[in-house]
Amino acid sequence: MAALLLALAAAAARAAPADAERASNALAREMLEQLIAINTTDTPRGNVTAAAAAMAQRLRAAGFPAADIQVLGPSERKKNLIVRLRGTGERRPVLLMGHLDVVEARREDWSTDPFALVEKDGELYGRGTLDMKGPDAIMLAALIRLRQEDFRPARDIILALTADEEGGAANGVQWLLQQHRELIDAQFALSGDDYSVLTEHGRPLFFKLVASEKVYADFQLRVTNKGGHSSEPVPDNAIYTLTRGLERLAAYEFPFELNAVTREYYRRLAAIESGQRAADMRAILHDPPDREALGRLSQVPADHAITRTTCVATRLEAGHGNNALPQRAAAVVNCRILPGHSPEEVRQRLVQVLADPAIGVGYLASDGTLHDVAPAERGFAPPPLLPEVMTPLDRLVAQTWPGLAVIPSMSAGASDATHTSAAGLPTYTFSPLTVDPNDDREHGRDERIGVASFYQANEFFYRYLRAVTAD
Amino acid sequence: MHVFTRRLRLAILTALLAAAALAATPAADPGDAAADALARDIFQQLIAINTTDSAGNVTTAAAAMAQRFLAAGFPAADVLVAGPEERKKNLVVRLRGTGRHKPVLLIGHLDVVEARREDWSTDPFELTEKDGYFYGRGTLDMKSGDAIMATALLRMKKAGVRPSRDIILALTADEEGGCCNGVEWLIRNHRELIDAEFVLNHDGIVGYSISSEQGVPQEFALSATEKMYADYQLTVINAGGHSSLPRPDNAIYELAEGLLRIGRYAFPVELNDITRAYFARMATVRNGQMAADMRAITRTPIDTAAAERLARQPEFNALMRTTCVATRLEGGHANNALPQRARANISCRILPGHSKEEVRQELVHVLNDDAIAVRYVTDDGTASDTAPGQRSQPPSPLLPQVLEPLQKTVAATWPGLPVVPFMNASATDGIYTRAAGLPTYGVAGIAVDRGDMHAHGRDERVRVASFYTGNEFFYRYLKAITVR
Repeated sequence: MAALLLALAAAAARAAPADAERASNALAREMLEQLIAINTTDTPRGNVTAAAAAMAQRLRAAGFPAADIQVLGPSERKKNLIVRLRGTGERRPVLLMGHLDVVEARREDWSTDPFALVEKDGELYGRGTLDMKGPDAIMLAALIRLRQEDFRPARDIILALTADEEGGAANGVQWLLQQHRELIDAQFALSGDDYSVLTEHGRPLFFKLVASEKVYADFQLRVTNKGGHSSEPVPDNAIYTLTRGLERLAAYEFPFELNAVTREYYRRLAAIESGQRAADMRAILHDPPDREALGRLSQVPADHAITRTTCVATRLEAGHGNNALPQRAAAVVNCRILPGHSPEEVRQRLVQVLADPAIGVGYLASDGTLHDVAPAERGFAPPPLLPEVMTPLDRLVAQTWPGLAVIPSMSAGASDATHTSAAGLPTYTFSPLTVDPNDDREHGRDERIGVASFYQANEFFYRYLRAVTAD
Repeated sequence: MHVFTRRLRLAILTALLAAAALAATPAADPGDAAADALARDIFQQLIAINTTDSAGNVTTAAAAMAQRFLAAGFPAADVLVAGPEERKKNLVVRLRGTGRHKPVLLIGHLDVVEARREDWSTDPFELTEKDGYFYGRGTLDMKSGDAIMATALLRMKKAGVRPSRDIILALTADEEGGCCNGVEWLIRNHRELIDAEFVLNHDGIVGYSISSEQGVPQEFALSATEKMYADYQLTVINAGGHSSLPRPDNAIYELAEGLLRIGRYAFPVELNDITRAYFARMATVRNGQMAADMRAITRTPIDTAAAERLARQPEFNALMRTTCVATRLEGGHANNALPQRARANISCRILPGHSKEEVRQELVHVLNDDAIAVRYVTDDGTASDTAPGQRSQPPSPLLPQVLEPLQKTVAATWPGLPVVPFMNASATDGIYTRAAGLPTYGVAGIAVDRGDMHAHGRDERVRVASFYTGNEFFYRYLKAITVR
């Protein structure tokens, strides 16, 4: 009888976590579905506040005191959510960050409705599944689960879900740092804005921890012309002038440059990779770097982006009537600038590369305004790798994916971590989602994450958050 | 009655003193005061009837004109108001002749492009005379011409003129766009009503045939052919992606490379009877290298160096070859995303004798990139994979029964003014009549100063003096081609 009771108790003990895991996964998916359905694009149809308020409602329902939940921001449609799970106060808080906004998606470009979570062939489709409503839902689910377990962390856990990371007039993290620093102040920040388990042909390669970021900058190229009737074309044409400039831009390469994080990245990665690729990684660490090795490596877009500043044309607009010569042609050039360089430095380089005074190069601020010059501040040097972040991560990664290495790296896509780093908060970005970088659909059509990966990441993040705040 | 302003007289005098030998002054003939009054009356009535495609009604204008012809004694059987749509009816009226020759068809469109009161200095739907000009929507394009043609017919009827051929006048709908192009509809449904040996289109260049400088006529352009308009859409599709990871394949760059190939490409120089005659005639008007080049390109084989020198002038370039030019661009959907789509509109003006599909295939050939799709943009704005394959008609032959009386009447009206055969780079209803096998000529005795063309724009206007001279000229010309 006693043995039976013991056996039952043991089964219950085993079943309890599994049930909690299942329940958390279900909740995370439900929240993801809800978030995807709320259009949070920076368009008249989008509303970040609606998403922030919906999540605030869930947190209240889960037992968070109203005083620890704030929905606030500078604009009606761009409010941010901040929630705090109070700890013992033994250590300074940790800030979890995620953005609620998504880039635009057009129904006609997609196979499914981008604003509905659709499960198909083991994948979850929808705008933001990866960037980053999936990670948002995972962070929320972890916080709710800890709250429901009455977990008392050694440090407060703050979660900030914010607006306008993808662009727009009201970047939530910047606004919070300026207006409500006390609400989000922390020893360090963890951002979920990048997938971490990189795979190739379904096999995990390594776990990427982002510890440095490039600086984001948009520039506008602009050509004006007096136009005229299209029945009498003239050689001086705004569209042709602009496209000649774009051709020169497409052919230009910024210089190769490594920093502490990217050096460590290639050093550790070379140990995992094999053959020519591993040899090339070692070869570019030499001073001077091996040019042939660099040439081969640079053919991979990710390596290309890690080793240099990149600028690429992303938008075009010209003309006003089919039968009228264009009076104006404009392009947006998006740059990702290596730490240690400034947007103004890059703007001047673009002017040199375009080599045509008829093409004006202005800086487009995040609020969409155009300026003749760009900010001169240089991007921040990579922060030190904190043991309280790294040790539990190494341990948990080893448990979940035996043999998988954690590799510190620099993100080529500047995110809100730029703002927290600049404010003195060491920021580490990871989300334990599994993605094949060759099929990365962030910002593209048919954005998706694997169903199994989503649940695995949900459980991983919960465990990591417990570990990082346990003592 | 011609009333010359002091300034205009001065300008003419100055031009003469400057020994501009070709500067022509109107002949001293005072014309007919009653005919001028009638033309103005009709002109005023037409301007006041809004015939835009949006709020307007072409039928009202057609009916008002029909009423005038009936009142003037045209038999009801020779006055028809018909069309496929309530608001878009056309007027066809016939002045019967002796039947010695096949009829002549006069065409003019009654519809006008939109005009907003707030953009204009005067009410666009009211004929306003101010400082020697008539202002109003359609004063140039082309209610002045409609009034002049109607007046000529009414005047002949009143004078009891019995022409050697029937004179048919068709005043029609939707030349400027819309559901129901009247000329096309008449050809398809009532060919017998408008069948003729040849057609005179008072649309001319854009409601005029004479280019003037400060009111002084420089040349009379006889439009005997026109280019065909076509838009093409270039599209590059790409998987897109995050802009932090640029790849060599990029929809914008791929489109840009294609556009540069189009920008560098020149369609072959090709002259037809009309443009050859145009350059030959212009060579006598111009001088120096330009005159020499104009003569050189009229020879066979064409002197390519001369052609390329002339082509530096956009107006001559447009007369020598089909032109295609990028007019619009659109690409990308977000600043921070690699473009999934990049698009350009290419506006082409196609020489007579070629088809839209031929030009589409040439664009494909020039682009030389399978990733750039080239579609034809139809009139309603939709894109289709191929374009119509019909070739536009070659130029109408310069018939002596058209040309000789024209030269005579022009010489009598504006002594010394050269008549220059001309190809219109923009499109008129002449495209339909030529396609139906009717030789068509743009003839309008109205003068517009170079650089002062307000058709389709705001404050559209025509010189008062030019309107009356044009009225008298057309009557005489019409008589000249129908007396033999």
